[in-house]
Amino acid sequence: MNIILKSRSLIALARPAVIAAACLLALVALSGCDRAAERPKMRIGYMNCNSEEETLQRFRPLTRYLSEKLGVDFETVPVDTQDFEERFAKGEFEFTHSNSLVYIILKENHDLRLLAAERRGQFGSRTAGAIISRKGSGIETLEDLKGKRMLFGPQLAPTGYLAQYDLMLEAGLDPERDLGYYAIPSGSFKHEKVVYGVYFGDFDVAAAPALDLEVMTREGKITADDFHIIAQSPIIPYCTFGASKQIDAELVEKFRKALLELKPEETVTIDGEQVKVLKSAWIDGFDQLLDSDYDPIRVMAKRANMPPYQEF
Amino acid sequence: MARDGFDRLIWLGLAGTLAALAVLLLGAPRGSDARQASSLDKGIERELAYQARSAFLQKIYGPVEELRAQGEAQRALLKLEELGRAYPGEAHGYLLKGAILQEFGALEESIASYVQGVKLNGDYVDEKSPLSMQTEIRQLVDRGLDEIGRRARANPDNRTLETALRNLYYLQSRLAGGCE
Repeated sequence: MNIILKSRSLIALARPAVIAAACLLALVALSGCDRAAERPKMRIGYMNCNSEEETLQRFRPLTRYLSEKLGVDFETVPVDTQDFEERFAKGEFEFTHSNSLVYIILKENHDLRLLAAERRGQFGSRTAGAIISRKGSGIETLEDLKGKRMLFGPQLAPTGYLAQYDLMLEAGLDPERDLGYYAIPSGSFKHEKVVYGVYFGDFDVAAAPALDLEVMTREGKITADDFHIIAQSPIIPYCTFGASKQIDAELVEKFRKALLELKPEETVTIDGEQVKVLKSAWIDGFDQLLDSDYDPIRVMAKRANMPPYQEF
Repeated sequence: MARDGFDRLIWLGLAGTLAALAVLLLGAPRGSDARQASSLDKGIERELAYQARSAFLQKIYGPVEELRAQGEAQRALLKLEELGRAYPGEAHGYLLKGAILQEFGALEESIASYVQGVKLNGDYVDEKSPLSMQTEIRQLVDRGLDEIGRRARANPDNRTLETALRNLYYLQSRLAGGCE
């Protein structure tokens, strides 16, 4: 009897403690939900290369990886090269992934902070611009370019347009006057079109990025014996990640660290599938460059009267 | 003992093996003569292997060297890309690529390529090997330690320069005879 009474009084005593514990648990759970809901949201603007669809497919895994590493819900925003500055200025994305000339434009005009440059191909985080002709065409020197039909890559492409334009200026040739005719292909895969334009004889010479020549050779689309490389620019930085000046410095540093630590075996789950982050993005890794590494592009852009130094 | 044809065959084989062993043991040269003959054989074997390897490398990478000599460094790199598909694990390709990348001023990538090549085949840092590229690698290490070292000291938090320095120290250690 005594035992029964004692246990009853013990239960009575313990009841408030049990209720308090339950309340505490509920509070913890709720605050956890709040925290999840409070995860910051940010956007990364990725420069379109071939198409919006391809850009999304390439970079969604990288965006997911960064979200997981940084505890931020990042969104992948595909952006056309020509619209990049305007959309960045409007605040449509806080982080940028663009070619190195667009990085300079945003750095000069909007104080964009340098994060890391992507590594891809033989020159690592750099590549060069080459002027090519078809082997056996007889066009072998820059002087031979006079009066010829030339195909350039897109206008804001550092190694598909700017570097070659500058190579010609440096050699005393004015592309606007000395070429017979020049064009820029429309639509996707512009760099490949430029190479094929010469390969199939539609144009005499073309402005090809060394990286594209390398990739096409590796894939067996062309061979080293198909072309003559008339001239090649110095190597300059490749695609680059940047951060808006408004972003907290600690987050910027974490973002850079996540990029530099990214290894080829790293995977994320996309639509129920395990996807390799770097392989999906066609990237070998990331390098931490210095802003001064971009100076050769600045010199080229000034000489070629290109943004951000363009004068009318 | 020999129950059927198969058993007889086994016994015959065993007898043959024992006879062959006896001939080898009795007919083999003894003591220092044997050691001398054996080391001579090894020397010839090694020489033959090196000659065959040199001929093979010349045949495969000759066109790359030719393009380089003509000043067509970028096409030489593209040629290496093509060869890399057929011989992905060949150290010589990495050494050649390292040399060409250095000409382009891609110092960090050049060092990384030399490291890959040396890891695949240590002959390139062995002074006695006919394949030795000790002098070129030593010059690269000296240049790298000067240029990259200076940049790394000015930017102590830069991980890319830190990696390049690590690669340089690896080459330096291999040049000094250190193993991996």
